[in-house]
Amino acid sequence: MKGRERKIIQYVILIGILLLGGYAVGKTLFVSDDDKPKIGGRPPSFENVADIEGNLHSLDDYKGKPVVINFWGSFCPPCVAEMPAIDRQYLKYRDQGLVVLAINLSEDDITVRDFLKRFDLHYTILRDKNRMIEKKYALRSYPTTFFISRDGRIQDIKVGGMTEEDIEQRILKLMEA
Amino acid sequence: MAALFENTKCECGHQNPPDTTLCESCGKPLGEEALSNRPLEMRYDGVARRSQKANPNLIDRIWNFFSSVKVAVVLIVITLIGAMLGTIYPQENTFINFDPAYYEENYGLAGKIYYALGLSHTYESWWFITLLVMIGASLVICSLDRVLPLYRALNKQQIRKHLQFLTRQRVTYAADLEGGDEEWTRKLAEQLRKKRFRVAAEQTALLAEKNRFSRWGPYINHIGLIIFLLAVLARAIPGWQLDEYVAVREGEAVPIPETNYYVKNIDFEVEYYSDDEMPDRLKGTMRPKRFETKAELYVCEANCGSTALEPVLRKVKTHDILVNDPLEYKGLKLYQFDYDTTPRLKAVRPVLMDLKSGESYGPFELSILEPESEYELGPYRLKLITRFLDFTVNASGEPANLSSQPNAPAFLFLIQGPDLPAEGETFFYFPIQTDRERFGQDLINGEMAERFDIRVTDMANVEFAGDVSYLNVRVDRALPFVFVGAFISLIGLVMGFYWQHRRVWLRIDDGRLTLGAHTNKNWYGLRAEVAAALRRAGLDVDPKSLDNGGKKE
Amino acid sequence: MNWLSISSGAFITAFALYCVAFLLYVIAVIGRKWKNREPEGHLRKWGRIAFVFSSLGLAAHLVFFFTRWAGAGHIPTSNMYEFLTLLGMAIMIAFTILFAIYRSPLLGMFALPLTVLIIAYAAVFPQEVQPLVPSLQSNWLRLHVTGAALGEAFFAVGFAAGLMYLLRVTDYNDKSASARRSQRWLEFSLYVLIVVAGFIITVFAFRGSGYEASFVQENLSIDARGNEQLTTQTVEYQLPPIVKPHDSEPVSIQPFLGLDRPLFEAPGWMNGVNAGRKLNTVIWSVISGTILYGLLRLLARKPLGAAIHPLLDGIDPDDLDEISYRAIAIGFPIFTLGGLIFAMIWAEQAWGRFWGWDPKEVWALITWLFYSAYLHLRLSRGWHGLKSSWLSVIGFLIVMFTLIGVNLIIAGLHSYAGV
Repeated sequence: MKGRERKIIQYVILIGILLLGGYAVGKTLFVSDDDKPKIGGRPPSFENVADIEGNLHSLDDYKGKPVVINFWGSFCPPCVAEMPAIDRQYLKYRDQGLVVLAINLSEDDITVRDFLKRFDLHYTILRDKNRMIEKKYALRSYPTTFFISRDGRIQDIKVGGMTEEDIEQRILKLMEA
Repeated sequence: MAALFENTKCECGHQNPPDTTLCESCGKPLGEEALSNRPLEMRYDGVARRSQKANPNLIDRIWNFFSSVKVAVVLIVITLIGAMLGTIYPQENTFINFDPAYYEENYGLAGKIYYALGLSHTYESWWFITLLVMIGASLVICSLDRVLPLYRALNKQQIRKHLQFLTRQRVTYAADLEGGDEEWTRKLAEQLRKKRFRVAAEQTALLAEKNRFSRWGPYINHIGLIIFLLAVLARAIPGWQLDEYVAVREGEAVPIPETNYYVKNIDFEVEYYSDDEMPDRLKGTMRPKRFETKAELYVCEANCGSTALEPVLRKVKTHDILVNDPLEYKGLKLYQFDYDTTPRLKAVRPVLMDLKSGESYGPFELSILEPESEYELGPYRLKLITRFLDFTVNASGEPANLSSQPNAPAFLFLIQGPDLPAEGETFFYFPIQTDRERFGQDLINGEMAERFDIRVTDMANVEFAGDVSYLNVRVDRALPFVFVGAFISLIGLVMGFYWQHRRVWLRIDDGRLTLGAHTNKNWYGLRAEVAAALRRAGLDVDPKSLDNGGKKE
Repeated sequence: MNWLSISSGAFITAFALYCVAFLLYVIAVIGRKWKNREPEGHLRKWGRIAFVFSSLGLAAHLVFFFTRWAGAGHIPTSNMYEFLTLLGMAIMIAFTILFAIYRSPLLGMFALPLTVLIIAYAAVFPQEVQPLVPSLQSNWLRLHVTGAALGEAFFAVGFAAGLMYLLRVTDYNDKSASARRSQRWLEFSLYVLIVVAGFIITVFAFRGSGYEASFVQENLSIDARGNEQLTTQTVEYQLPPIVKPHDSEPVSIQPFLGLDRPLFEAPGWMNGVNAGRKLNTVIWSVISGTILYGLLRLLARKPLGAAIHPLLDGIDPDDLDEISYRAIAIGFPIFTLGGLIFAMIWAEQAWGRFWGWDPKEVWALITWLFYSAYLHLRLSRGWHGLKSSWLSVIGFLIVMFTLIGVNLIIAGLHSYAGV
C-alpha cells in the first residue's frame, strides 16, 4: 500500500519532469523564431490599409483568392526592377482571380506618388505606416514576396528580386493549388 | 533477495525498514555499521533512503540516478564547464545583425569549429538546456528522497538512546559521577536550557536539541531553485515575454509592436558631465550624466491595426523614463536604451534670389516631409516636381532614393516667371550645404545656377527635428516568480548556513554519565558549548578532548 | 577641507598598518619557538597586538572608503581601483569576523598578505574619481558590487585557510609519487602568488622611473549600417614592450636594456580593451615573479612550501580545515545575494532583463556553481581535508579569473579600463 503510493508519486514526478523538460529542450531544437510567417502557415492579417487612392483594404477581403504580397520601396533597386514584370504577370492572370498587393515600405506620400507616376501599374499598391505590416511579416531584407494560396496558407516565400520567368512559374504554381 | 530475509528487528523491539543503518528508535548501529568502532555515519540519522531498494526496475533506476548527490555534482561540474566554453568567443545574441561567417573571419579555424559545434549559442543549445533540466530533476528527486526520511527521523526521536549510539558520536564524553543520577540529569538539563537548547528529559536520560529548522535550509533552498527554474521556463509561454525596440522622435507617437499601446516622446533631454566634473584624462569627452525621455503611454481603442485611419488613443500613463527607471504599466516596461541627437532637418525657410537683379523673394516655408506643391514668390512661381529624401544617382544615372530616411533631401522645382520660358525651367535644390557640394547643385542646374539661387540666409531659418529616443519595450510576466524563487533559495541558504542543528544525548546509568552530541556543521562551536555546559554543572572538560576524531562535515 | 586628500592619506595609512600587522602575525606564529618563551602565552600576546594593528588598519581603510564616498559623491565601487580596494577591505572584514569566532592568529598570517597584495594591485590602476555613466547610477548596482566583494572576500579567507591546511599537512619527507605531486602543485600555487607580487613590483618600478612607450593600433569594425569603420587608437605602455598590440605600429619606445622594439605581436583573439598591453604586463609579471621566486628559493635552499611547513608545526590541521569550510559557508549565501540576486535586480532595472549571459555574469554563475559543488561534495560526499582545501584554492582561482581575467581576455559590459 505504501509502496503503491510511492510508485504513483514517482511516476507523477518523472512524467512532470519529462513533459516540462521535453518542452524546454524541444523548444531549442525545433523552433527558432516562432512568430515569423512560415511556409505552410497563415499570413499575418492586416486591416484597413490604404491604397494610393485612399481606399481601405484588409487581407480578409481576399479570402479564397490566390494572393501575392510583395514588399517594395522606391529606394530598393531590385524591388523597382521586378515591378513591371509583376504587373505583366498580374494582367495575364487577374481574370483567373489573382490578387497582387504590393506593400510600400512606409515611405512618405510624395515619394510614393512621384515614384508611381513613372510606371503604369495595375495591381494594388498599399501604404504601410510606421513599419507596422513590415514588422508583422518580420522582414529582414527587400524585396520579399509572399505567395498565399486559395486556402489561405503561405505557399512560398521569396526573399530577393525575381526574373519574369521566376515570377510566372511561382504564379502558375499558386494558381494550380 | 537478501533483503527479504534480513532480520531488521532491533534488540529494543523496533521493526526497521531494510537498509537502516541506525535503529530508528534507540539508535543502535545495525548491519555493517555495527561491526566498526568508528564514529557513526549520522547522515539522515541512519534512516533508509527512499530510493534504496532491492530489484530496481527501469523507473527505479532513473529515480536512483537522479537521487544521487554524486550525479548532481557531476551535472553541476559539466554545466560549469559548458558555461565556460560559451565565454570563449562572443555569443551570437550579442550581435544585432548576426553573420554566420563572423567566427571564421575573426578567429580562423578555431572560430569555424566553435560555430560548427554550436558553441556560438551555448546557452540556448539543446545540451545546455538538457543539463539545466537534469539539474532541475536532480533537485526535485534528491530533496524528496532525503527530506521525508529526515523528517520522520527527527519527528519521533527517542530520548534514551543505545549506549553505542552515544559513545560513537563524534563528540562524546563519559565520566563517573558522585551523587544521584536524576539530580545530575536535572542539573545538566538546566545548563543546556541556559544555552537555549530545548530539552526533553526522562528520569536519567535527556535529549537537548536546538535549531532543528536549519536542517530544512537545503530543501527550502532547493524549492527556491526549482521555482526559479520553472519561472525561467514559463517565459516561453506565449505573451509572457516581449522584447522590442522602438525609436521615437520628440513630439511623435509610435505603436509598440505586438501590443495595443502607443508611446509618445514629449521631450528628450541629455545632460553631459562638464569638464570640471571629470578627471584630466576624460576632459573634452562627451560623457553623458543623465538622459531622460518624458514619455506618455497610450492605449489604442480603435483603428489600431490600420495604417490609414487615425488610431483612437487614450492616455494611460505619463512617466520620465531614465536609465534604471523604466515606465511601467500593467507588466509592460519601457526602458531608456539609447538616443540619437544627430541633427536632422525638419524644415528650412529659404529665399529665392534673382542673382542678376540682386532681389530676393521670400522666405518661404519648405517642409522636408510635407512640402507645398506650389510657392508664389514675388513675380515667380515655384512648382514642386519631385522631392527626394535620401538623394542619390542610381546605376542607370537617374536620381533616386537611397533609403526612406531624410538623410539627404533634394527638391526639384519648376520655376516660372518673367524672362523664363512659359513652361518654366527646372531647378534642383539641396537644403544641406554638404549635399549641395557633394552632388554639384550648380553643375546640375547649369545656366539657371547663374540666374537664381535658393538659399537660407540665417540659421534661425533652419528648423531641426527633435532627438530620437530609443526605448526597449519589455514584458516579462515570469519575473515575480523568478525573484520569489531566488529569495526563497536565499532564505534556505541563510537558514542552512548561519544556524546549525545541534543535539546532545545524555544518559546516566548507575553513576556513569555518557554523553554524545551531534551537529551538521561547526563542530568547534558544539564542542565549546557542550564543554561550557558541563563546566557549569561542575565537570571541567577541555573542549578539544570531546572530539572523537573521524569525518567532519 | 578636501575629502579626497584625507581619503588618500587614509589609504596609505591602512596599507602601512596592514604590512605591520602582517609582520606582527608572523612574529606571533614563528616566535612561539624562540628561546625562553612559553609558546601559548607568546602566541596569545603577540596575536592580540597584531589583531589591534590589523583592526586599526581596517579602521583606516573604512575611513578611506567613506571619505572617498563623500568626496566623489558616489560609493567608490565603480572602477578597478575602487573595486579592488573594496575587495581588500571586505577580506579584512571577513577575516575579522572569522578571527572573532576562532581566535586564530594564524589566519592573520595568511589573510593579511592576501589583502596587502590585493590593495597593492589596486594601486596599479588609475586612482582618480570618475563620473558615472547613467546605467551605473543605481543603488542595486552598489549593493551588487559590495555584496559580491564581501562574498568573494569570505572565499578568499577560505582560500587562505585552505592553503595553510595544505602547507600544514603536506609532508616534505614523503617521496612517494602522490606526495610529490601534491608538493609540486602546492609549490606552483605559491609561485603564482609570487608572480602577482612580481607584477605589482614591476609596475611600480617602471612607473617610478617614468618609462613610456606608445603604439598606434588600427581597429576595423563594422557598424550597425554595415559600413566598415577604421578607427585608430594610441596605446600607451608603461612597461617595456615585449609584446606589441595586435595590428599596431610603434610611435615611440624608450630603450630598456637594449630592448628598443617589441619582440612579438599580441594575437588577434584577445578581445579585451588594450589586450596587447595587458598581455605584455602578464609576461613581465611572469618574468619578474620568476626572478623573485628564484631569489627566495636560493635564500631558503629548499622548496618554499618546505620552508613554510615547519612554521605551522603544532597547529591542528582540523581547525584549519574547519575555518576554511566555515569561511566558504558564510560567504556562499552572501555571494548568492550580492553576486547573483542583486546583480539580477540591477540588470532588470537597467536593461530590462535579469540575465543576459554576459561573460562576467556567466563567470559569476560558474563561481557559484563551483562553490555549490564544493559544498555538496563536503556535506554529502564527505570531501574534507586535502580534497576540500584544494577545491578552496581552485575556487579562489575562479573568483580571481571572474574579477580580473574576464576583463583581460573577454570584452563585455563589465570591462573596467586598466593596466
